[in-house]
Amino acid sequence: MNKLLKTILWTAISLAGAAALSAIAFERNEPLNAVWFVVAAVATYVVAYRFYSSFIAAKVLALDDSRATPAERLEDGKDFVPTNKWVLIGHHFAAIAGPGPLVGPTLAAQFGYLPGTLWLILGAVLGGCVQDFTTLFFSMRRNGKSLGQMAREEVGKRGGMLALLAVLAIMVILLAAVALIVVKALKDSPWGTFTLAMTIPIAVLVGIYLRFLRPGRILEASLIGVALVIVAVVAGQWVNASLSWSQAFTLSGPALAIAIIVYGFAASALPVWLLLAPRDYLSAFIKVGAIVALAGGILFVRPTLQMPALTRFIDGSGPVFAGKIFPFCFITIACGAVSGFHALISSGTTPKMILHESHARVIGYGAMLMESFVGVMAMIAACVLSPGVYFAINAPAGIVGKTPETAAAVIHSWGFPLDPHAIITLAHRVGERTLLDRTGGAPSLAVGMAQIFSGTIGGDRLLGIWYHFAIMFEALFILTVLDAGTRVGRFMVQELGGHIWKPLGQRGWIPGILISSALICGAWGYFLWQGVQDPLGGINSVWPLFGIANQLLAAVALVVGTTILLKMGKLKWIWVTLAPMAMLVAVTMTASYQKIFDASPRLGFLAQANLLASQIAAGAIPPDRIAATQRLIFNNRLDAAVTAVLALMVCALLFEALTVWAAILFAGKQAALNEAPYVPTRWAEGD
Amino acid sequence: MPQKLKQANRALRKAWQWLREVTGDAAYDNYLRHCTANENRAHSSAFKKLTRAEFYSDALRRKYSTINRCC
Repeated sequence: MNKLLKTILWTAISLAGAAALSAIAFERNEPLNAVWFVVAAVATYVVAYRFYSSFIAAKVLALDDSRATPAERLEDGKDFVPTNKWVLIGHHFAAIAGPGPLVGPTLAAQFGYLPGTLWLILGAVLGGCVQDFTTLFFSMRRNGKSLGQMAREEVGKRGGMLALLAVLAIMVILLAAVALIVVKALKDSPWGTFTLAMTIPIAVLVGIYLRFLRPGRILEASLIGVALVIVAVVAGQWVNASLSWSQAFTLSGPALAIAIIVYGFAASALPVWLLLAPRDYLSAFIKVGAIVALAGGILFVRPTLQMPALTRFIDGSGPVFAGKIFPFCFITIACGAVSGFHALISSGTTPKMILHESHARVIGYGAMLMESFVGVMAMIAACVLSPGVYFAINAPAGIVGKTPETAAAVIHSWGFPLDPHAIITLAHRVGERTLLDRTGGAPSLAVGMAQIFSGTIGGDRLLGIWYHFAIMFEALFILTVLDAGTRVGRFMVQELGGHIWKPLGQRGWIPGILISSALICGAWGYFLWQGVQDPLGGINSVWPLFGIANQLLAAVALVVGTTILLKMGKLKWIWVTLAPMAMLVAVTMTASYQKIFDASPRLGFLAQANLLASQIAAGAIPPDRIAATQRLIFNNRLDAAVTAVLALMVCALLFEALTVWAAILFAGKQAALNEAPYVPTRWAEGD
Repeated sequence: MPQKLKQANRALRKAWQWLREVTGDAAYDNYLRHCTANENRAHSSAFKKLTRAEFYSDALRRKYSTINRCC
């Protein structure tokens, strides 16, 4: 293509993106069609990928295809396997795509569609993609070292230890947050609970097939498993219709929480081939299938968004979670725009499989663009609901009351009309007893997805099946994160515990496995239990805690990245990682401060604890509630302490990094870069 | 027309191969290819070529010992 044509094409794409972003930002009179969001997102991604990522690849990181990658130098057919870039981007995307980009934007929709959508798109292209890409590159240049190892070698010994502790703490909070979402989605829902329960024997069957009948035939085993899961979703409606069966599968929040903790323990301690791995295969298939189907459904139905661009809750009084746009929109969206957890994947298996250095661009930067698009689709699915329905599902009973009438009255007073009969009818149409007080984002996302899917296939008749398909899809891969995370958490506990008591460090020692599994399950189980008991729905305290933890980890990855760039002599381009790092440090520190010290009891943990304590002192709490209230006080203080510890750990790492930066910049210290030495590649570029 | 059929066939084969690679279905075949390409090492006494079942168990152990799923 000649130069003129290229210029015209890129100008047209840029203009289309700018027009769509302007429509999203400024249109207030007419409800917007979802197509504007798709155009705005895709055009921005394409332009950012073409220009910004190529600038980072060429100028900042200086990717060098003449240099042999670890996959070539250390090829072993197992971990270090040179892999085609389109295969590897599939691997990498399946690993980074979790429930976060679906749940975060759904919750952030309480501010209206505008703030969340802008952050999803711009945060990804300027922050999240940069973090993933640079971390992947730095790890690839260091033979696939982990973020913790890189922090230790490039920033300092304490930095490495802090990174390991931060990852463990973040894992615990993450697992509690996602488990709470499953509990909120499945409580008193026999259809959903049955479907999810059935995935366990189905996974075991697939596991036995893969281990004994046809070892390693993942594709055929997964297809059989997926077919069985779909049968389970359909069969759920009969369970729901039968009085005795539906009673057996109707579980309360606390009962579900206990079941999930027991499940997490079992999945962590049992051999991986039996439950964890086959569930992971099923989940990966359904996850990618549902995401592709959602994209197709949005383009086919082209729904109109009902939510306004901005709601009154930008003032911080939102019922879904408390806090103003800054910093809580950023904290809540988390993974869809920037995810610290991706830095762990980007410094895990992916860098060991890259064929040529230049492939890191499409894999690191490109996969995160796809993740951001998943977030934009979740935002669309949440905003196609009428705001009244959205708030009825996502606001806790502690705020809107327990009956459709009280909820409708409170939500109406916020300026969002809601017919109490409409929410009852909608619940019955999707096969649920009630949709009120279903905090956590999963049910409202499932209603939005079901509306889009049923607009494509089946109409109203299939609304219930589509709703439960969406719930199963979310719950299935949340449980996959839960069991995989618990297992890795167990290894971390064993690694850390091994320093104190040697036998605990041996991975195959059964008492060690049981003790460490119980410790990690107990830790996230405690936060889950606390969320289930919380009268404000739990999400209000656990999700921001998760968001803060996740964004702090992203700040850690960007601190490490900035340090390495400085050591590489790239002072001129340091803003590429420094700017998103500064943004994340500002966001997380403000959020941490507000969550600990804010005077509003809904926002500040200490204010909530003090309010409850003063109520006990004033005799305003009935005697039978005093013990439970004292537990709430303790939990709020614990949450404040956890937030403070996380923030302090990052401050300590930042301080350590600043001393390294100062030594390089001002004391003229020779920067020791721990890259693997240059070895020329033996492979041609087209390989 | 046969030309178009051939092209469609080629595209389908590529898509199938991609799916097998992405899901890990082709991992053992790739391992065998790696062993064949490194015949010298394969013939050394210390090296033992894994069976399909052994390779699958080993792959699971390695995969689920590290963070491989995200939030």
